[in-house]
Amino acid sequence: MPEVVAPMGGNVWEVKVKVGDRVNEGDEVVILEAMKMELPIVAEASGVVKEVKVKKGDAVETGAVLIVLE
Amino acid sequence: MDINEKLAELERRNREAELGGGIERIQDQHAKGKMTARERIEYLLDPGSFVEIDKFVVHQCTDFGMEKKKIPGDGVVTGYGTIQGRLVFVFAQDFTVFGGSLSGAFGQKVCKIMDLALKNGAPIIGLNDSGGARIQEGVVSLGAYGEIFRRNVLASGVIPQISVIMGPCAGGAVYSPAITDFIIMVKKTSNMYITGPDVIKATTSEEVTHEELGGAMTHSTKSGVAHFAEDSDKDALERVKELLTFLPQNFREKPPLAECADDPMRKDPELNKVVPTNPRVPYDMKKIIYSVLDDHKFLEVHKHYAQNMIVGFGRLDGKVVGVVANQPRFLAGAIDIDASMKCARFVRTCDCFNIPLITFVDVPGFLPGTNQEYRGIIKHGAKIIYAYCEATVPKIAVVVRKAYGGAYDVMSSKHHGGDINLAYPTAEIAVMGPEGAVNIIFRKEIASSSDPEGTRERLIQEYRRNFASPFKAAELGYIDKIIFPEETRPELVKALRMLENKREERPARRHGNIPL
Repeated sequence: MPEVVAPMGGNVWEVKVKVGDRVNEGDEVVILEAMKMELPIVAEASGVVKEVKVKKGDAVETGAVLIVLE
Repeated sequence: MDINEKLAELERRNREAELGGGIERIQDQHAKGKMTARERIEYLLDPGSFVEIDKFVVHQCTDFGMEKKKIPGDGVVTGYGTIQGRLVFVFAQDFTVFGGSLSGAFGQKVCKIMDLALKNGAPIIGLNDSGGARIQEGVVSLGAYGEIFRRNVLASGVIPQISVIMGPCAGGAVYSPAITDFIIMVKKTSNMYITGPDVIKATTSEEVTHEELGGAMTHSTKSGVAHFAEDSDKDALERVKELLTFLPQNFREKPPLAECADDPMRKDPELNKVVPTNPRVPYDMKKIIYSVLDDHKFLEVHKHYAQNMIVGFGRLDGKVVGVVANQPRFLAGAIDIDASMKCARFVRTCDCFNIPLITFVDVPGFLPGTNQEYRGIIKHGAKIIYAYCEATVPKIAVVVRKAYGGAYDVMSSKHHGGDINLAYPTAEIAVMGPEGAVNIIFRKEIASSSDPEGTRERLIQEYRRNFASPFKAAELGYIDKIIFPEETRPELVKALRMLENKREERPARRHGNIPL
């Protein structure tokens, strides 16, 4: 199952999708705040959002799963 | 034997040698989607320019019945020719002959061609497709590898060395390409690893495929061993030709000049809008790079590896330049270990071959964290400092946005010998970001305020206005000129023309001691 993971540690600034949403490859799904920057995290595959594992304000580490797609 | 018989004998022997391991094995090679050694050379070089040497060399092994199995050429095709009219030396390992395995005779052929390349100051191109050492020859084969490695080291920084991996390249064999300047891998058909999947499974029970372990994309994304990953043999050979247009024949020469039809004084008003007004919002640094280079052409090196740092070749005013840039879109442009190594290696490659460096800066700092510290960001980050300070080629930098802390120093700053340091009006050159600085400088004032958040916000805005700009650095002469973004190309061209005959000496020494 395709997952969207954090490329670096940081805080979740915004979650742009909810369970059931259809996303296309390249869509921004989460904005991560790291190094005082708002980094758009994009889906690397298309699919339907099955699970959103984080919410605004959460601290995440490198490699943490943010969104699960199916 | 009369003369006609002698001529016919040569003809017969030539044809025999050209068949390598025979029709069947050539068909096997084609079935795998691979070209033969000779087809590759023919495709790479200018038509009719290839001169083969050592065509009739055979191995000298008499163990394990090898004396009965001899094939002229012994598994490697060597010689010289031209690419776009410029002399190059080439060896192509022939997988159809004993699986391209390396014998003593094979090694001698490669060494002979490397020696010629070095003496004549022309690039050497190695086309790798080999099963590894020829086991029957034992330590002779190891000796041959060692002779090749040593020549790779001696040629390093003297002539360009390019390796193309077009089949297996395993065990000790990987170390010849590893020492060369560039490695180009063919997707799906090539592999590089020190120990293959079978040995890994036997020793550590870890299961991994050849492709996952050492395929072109593995080495282009994870390890950074490969500089380019190409779809086919032909694409990989085309990449060699393109790469050579950016490189001189040897360290005494400059890279070839090209006609420049693109107006050197061309302005691009779009550049005034590339940097977002909100400093928290990333943008694509490549827009600036593509905008300023001649004909908007940029050959990115290590495209898929450490994408927070961009490196590659282009031209300005017809002259080859090496471009280094932070990429705010990845890891916020922070410098980590991988980016440090990518940057330092590229800077040194350019300095070897008289290629001026153009550096675009937007860096929030080094990447924090235990992972980075435990793996040695200190010694790896130091490589960037070492490489820039050591480089004597013209060095021009443009601070586009952030240049904070130690990362400001390392990115081709004035203090590290930058010849011309430019900045956009959007530049923020400071010891750290406004948020961090205010928290430290005004810790007490914020804590004792009746409205700490409001006070903090006001102080941040003040700090940003007064210090997060290029003007403080310009007042000190650390920035030579603050430019209008739309004039980036003309400004770079003028600086590059001024630096055309730059000469700079370094103190005498045996050699420096770059932190490795």
